[in-house]
Amino acid sequence: MRTKKDTTPEIAISEHELYSLTEELADKHQDTLPKMREGANEVSESIRELTKSKYGRRSFLTKAAALGAGGALLAACGTAASTSTTAAPKVAGPSVDLQVAALAASLENLAVSTYKAGISAATAGKLGTVPPAVANFAETAMAQHADHAKAWNSILVGAGYKAISAPDPALNGVINADLGKVANVVDLAKLALNLEGVAAATYLEALYALSSKSARAIAATIQPVEMQHVAILNFVLGTYPVPNAFATTTGARPAGEAKSLLVK
Amino acid sequence: MNENRNLDEPELIELMEQSKDIHSDAMRRTRGDINDLINNVAPATERPEERKEEAAEFTKKRSEILGAASNGLGILGVTGLGAAMLALFSKPAFASSNTDIQILQTAASIENLAVATYQTALTLPFIGGSSANPVVKAFAQTTMKQHQEHAQAFNAAITALGGKQQNNPDPVLLKVVESAKPSLTSPSQVVNLALELEQGAAETYVANVAALSEARAIDVTSSILGVEAQHVAILTAVSALLSAGAPQLITLPPPAAQLPAAAGSIGFPNAFYPTNKARPQTEGAVK
Repeated sequence: MRTKKDTTPEIAISEHELYSLTEELADKHQDTLPKMREGANEVSESIRELTKSKYGRRSFLTKAAALGAGGALLAACGTAASTSTTAAPKVAGPSVDLQVAALAASLENLAVSTYKAGISAATAGKLGTVPPAVANFAETAMAQHADHAKAWNSILVGAGYKAISAPDPALNGVINADLGKVANVVDLAKLALNLEGVAAATYLEALYALSSKSARAIAATIQPVEMQHVAILNFVLGTYPVPNAFATTTGARPAGEAKSLLVK
Repeated sequence: MNENRNLDEPELIELMEQSKDIHSDAMRRTRGDINDLINNVAPATERPEERKEEAAEFTKKRSEILGAASNGLGILGVTGLGAAMLALFSKPAFASSNTDIQILQTAASIENLAVATYQTALTLPFIGGSSANPVVKAFAQTTMKQHQEHAQAFNAAITALGGKQQNNPDPVLLKVVESAKPSLTSPSQVVNLALELEQGAAETYVANVAALSEARAIDVTSSILGVEAQHVAILTAVSALLSAGAPQLITLPPPAAQLPAAAGSIGFPNAFYPTNKARPQTEGAVK
């Protein structure tokens, strides 16, 4: 992300040292990706199993049902619920875990597109002077959200669904409207903070709700990263970065919100 | 570390007050959860519908397996019966809560050690005294309290599951802290020690979430792991600025324009939180 030429005086600091540290950390990150792919494969397998099993349904079902996700209930009841050989074949809908995967992918897509738009606006000089650290934050966070989207999409594809490239259908319009009002870096940081907060809350809700241990493991590796984004954004905005001893689900999106994006 | 700081201290205090209000709101929910945990000592009452259905499914399956065996239908041999029952008992809802209790005791022990470490750190003049950076001091004070609350929450969950509370520190990590104490002569060393503990805590809880079986254990762990990760993010950024000889940039808000580009992302280097530093599940279990 190119920014307007910064006229602030250079500080006496070893940037090389910081870059070196960041490179090392990026290498470590690359090391974690193969493990994540393995996890995604396990989740796909688990989800296939879940469409046949009744075990592990949780509170997200309530929300999913409220959104008309009757198929989730059917899927969770699955074949084990009926032993009759004469019963009409049931049409299995996506399980709650699959709905969560779709929701997560769509939220991640929205985060990527929001950061991308913000970076484009900054590059075009529409946001005034952009500090290099803020630009670096936006680029790194965007790349991480893209990685998150890939992880959820690999689960969906593994379970026989198409990858989701669309943003969360309910939030997209709201975020785009807010994006249109962003006039400077502070506005952009506030918008990003809202979005990251929603993502973190949604993942926390998912951790309570997911049936598959493998899916829970993936959500557990992503939720703290979104929380870190929140902390850094709060800090940059001058707000105490870790105000709560416990993460909350305030702002979490309902599991079935992106169900319409699930296509086989 | 206190040189050239440009923090508006009243402003920081005001922000801390606002943060406390937000935190209090969150605590009301969490305390409610903890109260639920304490009140619902009998297992499987937190999500009755789900548990009822799972129990019914379990009973049905068990009857099918045992019925098939006793009726001599030849479906299950001795080995087959054992395997089928084993598979049934290995279903998540019926996994042993003893494992969950041990995992939670280890978590409580990590929190106890964190509290003790921050307490010690705050007695040092450059962390909790007059020469301390106010942001670092406020962070240490707030974080210590948050770890106290985490320990209480883990212990409440342990009690709810019928286990013994863990009020001692993690014995292995305690040795690490004890051996580090003599070398804690500057803010950087203290921050790095705290960072090591926070990273260990966050990674342990991330790993635990997939290993736990009881809903209440999963819930409390899930609500804490991200907070430890936030501590890690802030400490990593602070550590980097200290190492780079720029303590004057540790202010709230920081002088964003003066920060090096790398400072923007150094706090969150991984897209997926690692678990390679997770502590063993039984390391802090009550013996």
